[in-house]
Amino acid sequence: MATTTAAVTLTSDLLSDAMSVNASTTCMKAGTTADGLDQLEYAVVEIPTGDEYDLICSTPTASKASKLYVKNHAIDETYFVAITQNAQAIGRLYGGDWMFIPADFHDAAGDIAITSNGGTNKIEYALFHEGTALTTT
Amino acid sequence: MATICTIDISSDAAPGFGGINESMTLTQAGSLTDIDSTTGFQRRKLSATAAVDLVTMASENIEPKDSVASKVYIRNIGDGKGNVDKTVGVTIGVNAEPIGKLYGGDWMMMPLTCIDADDVTATPATDDTVVLEFVMFYEEA
Repeated sequence: MATTTAAVTLTSDLLSDAMSVNASTTCMKAGTTADGLDQLEYAVVEIPTGDEYDLICSTPTASKASKLYVKNHAIDETYFVAITQNAQAIGRLYGGDWMFIPADFHDAAGDIAITSNGGTNKIEYALFHEGTALTTT
Repeated sequence: MATICTIDISSDAAPGFGGINESMTLTQAGSLTDIDSTTGFQRRKLSATAAVDLVTMASENIEPKDSVASKVYIRNIGDGKGNVDKTVGVTIGVNAEPIGKLYGGDWMMMPLTCIDADDVTATPATDDTVVLEFVMFYEEA
């Protein structure tokens, strides 16, 4: 079984008592306890300002347990990318920000799209999944 | 006042994949100033398949600023009694758009718009008891 683990450490002193969260998960295929995510799409792309682009070129199998990591490597803190799914705005990743989300790509419209602002943003992404709709030539 | 989040991903799905280890300091939009507001750490227990708001943007005690650098952390911790079931999933959504499903033990860190309509929702797949932990960081409007 392929094993993919994702761990997070989150600390904050915004509250009077400092918060510290540590968590780790082994990324499994949807609804299973013994079969890990075994496919990976990993890339770095530069996104110019202007148009909105699909970040995921092919469509991973819908309603599964895919996990998507995206990081904005822009070094200018005023640069950001806007993330949308199915035309719904999710949020912005400014230079240095990253996100890690489950992505079930519920249908063909469920792709993750990205728009660059401020200048060209260098984006790193990794999609851990369990199958994709391959495009025939 | 710093809020820092670090991710560490390892995988043998591809032999050449060297893993990911990144840290980010949560800052206000377009600046190096630390983010300044939080909902605080919360738990929500769910035992039905109805969709519920985890975060209702219009009801926050401190009004969040729209379309900036807000983030939310959510984790499915199982039934809250130490039992974590990888087959029990909760779909996390934004403004009724399903983002993805958190199975037992899974966590996510996601940017948010904090626009009033863009509430963060949770929809369990079954009526098994599941507890979500979550915290939102945002800028005061």
